[in-house]
Amino acid sequence: MVILRAELCPGLTAEMIQILKANGIKTVVDLVSSDLEDVARKCSLSYKALVAVRRVLLAQFSAFPINGADLYEELKSSTAILSTGCKNLDKLLDSGLYTGEVTELTGAPGSGKTQLCLSIAASVSHCLKQHLLYVDTTGGLTAGRLLQLIQSKTEDEEEQAEALQMIQVVRVFDAYKMLDVLQELRCSIAQQVMSSSGPVKVLVVDSVSAVLYPLFGGRQPEGMALMMQLARELKTLARELSVAVMVTNHVTRDSSSGHLKPALGRSWSFVPSTRVLLESSEEVQGKASTHRVASLTKSPRQPTGIQVELDIGTWGLLEGSPSESGEGL
Amino acid sequence: DVIEFHGPEGTGKTEMFYHLIARCVIPKSEGGLEIGVLFIDTDYHFDMLRLVTILEHRLSRSTEDVIKQCLGRLFLVNCNSSTQLLLTLYSLENLFCSHPSLCLLILDSISAFYWIDRINGGESLSQQEESLKRCAKVLEKLAREHHLVVFATTQTIMRKSANSAENSGKLQCGPETDYRSYLCKSWQQLVTHRIFFSRQCPAGTTKKFSIVSCHTRSNNITRRSFSVAECGVQF
Repeated sequence: MVILRAELCPGLTAEMIQILKANGIKTVVDLVSSDLEDVARKCSLSYKALVAVRRVLLAQFSAFPINGADLYEELKSSTAILSTGCKNLDKLLDSGLYTGEVTELTGAPGSGKTQLCLSIAASVSHCLKQHLLYVDTTGGLTAGRLLQLIQSKTEDEEEQAEALQMIQVVRVFDAYKMLDVLQELRCSIAQQVMSSSGPVKVLVVDSVSAVLYPLFGGRQPEGMALMMQLARELKTLARELSVAVMVTNHVTRDSSSGHLKPALGRSWSFVPSTRVLLESSEEVQGKASTHRVASLTKSPRQPTGIQVELDIGTWGLLEGSPSESGEGL
Repeated sequence: DVIEFHGPEGTGKTEMFYHLIARCVIPKSEGGLEIGVLFIDTDYHFDMLRLVTILEHRLSRSTEDVIKQCLGRLFLVNCNSSTQLLLTLYSLENLFCSHPSLCLLILDSISAFYWIDRINGGESLSQQEESLKRCAKVLEKLAREHHLVVFATTQTIMRKSANSAENSGKLQCGPETDYRSYLCKSWQQLVTHRIFFSRQCPAGTTKKFSIVSCHTRSNNITRRSFSVAECGVQF
């Protein structure tokens, strides 16, 4: 709710505001939705002036309709598809992460969500030379592993250092801090003051459920509102600044059917546009294995239900044995 | 008419909109309706590239020019809060006056701000619903004055309350209509048709969806199923 102030628009004087206030019109919404003829009569203000003020306020506070053809032109130039560095995963995602979208990775603990995030970080920073912000909420990111992944792509130490410089890591442990970080990122991209580094193209949040879960105790609506606020912030970032957003989420088991479903409930389920479920392949369950099955459970482009196999162990490793793959992170 | 689409995520609501938009913006010579569409996106869900893909499949000769001509009949608005939505609806008056060919207004989704509004409204229910109530009023006025068809989605974000007899569900609209109205009364009264979306196979392996359409006044029920493919919705 925006309260009427004199600075809001040129035709609106402090005097007018006083009179309007006395008649119960305090906010922009009040003024816009009231019957101006009536107001003009009651407050003895000029009807013309009021109409002009209303028009300016509407133009200022409402969203502007864009023509579809223009938007298409704009999208053609701004949308980028960022390869994840893994052929199978790219196939699942229809050639990679799309800017402007939120992609969600779900999976049980140890299903390789963090590993996947790290590999994508390595690939984006080294192969695509794009800047990346990694929001770590669980402490799951280890610099050593990240370096290892980059080392597997290049042996040149300078290139390795360059790649690492492309990756910014922020550690946050609650939702409020996370909102701060996201808003800061939005401001900085909007003003293009990323000083030392270029604009961030990929945002990884690992994991989003870790910061959101603590909110659901006590008064539920508050937690829900905060969650939706965070979701909104992520989506705005993605869409308006064309950033590819990737988040990770836990899974819970549906009490009636026993199927795995993404955590955080129904309201969240509408947030990501693409969702990938990671599972260990079934035939070798129980044993430590590097094989994972990724299946597409939601997508705006591809038919859902496609499955591909991923091998996390060999993914970035030079000569390491599978046990070195550190999937327990 | 005001038609409400209701269903959980991944049941093809947005996909159905692409179908509707495609049908509206395609020129008459190609079997479309050649009318304008306004799409209000409150969820950042609208994927222009997907719409273009569908258009390419529908048009017999899909040159860049034809597609752009089609897309020229589409207007898009992004809204970020319920206050902005309300003010935008007020300002749309002008757009509808200057573009009389606009006949279809799509709002995806109207329930997007539910939780945030609920907190901002504080304790009182009427305060929580204030913005939405006003939005419903303006929508009604717009639809009446400019002869619009309004489509809006509401998301299934609540479970059906536990005591609403699960067994009797089959009698009315079937078990797939997991419906619980949580939006304000003035919206409920506005809706003339309510269409429930669901997936036929819960495992999510097929691309089959079904819709149940329900006339809110006469309680007429129709069922259809459709599938989604590369080229869009197919009945």
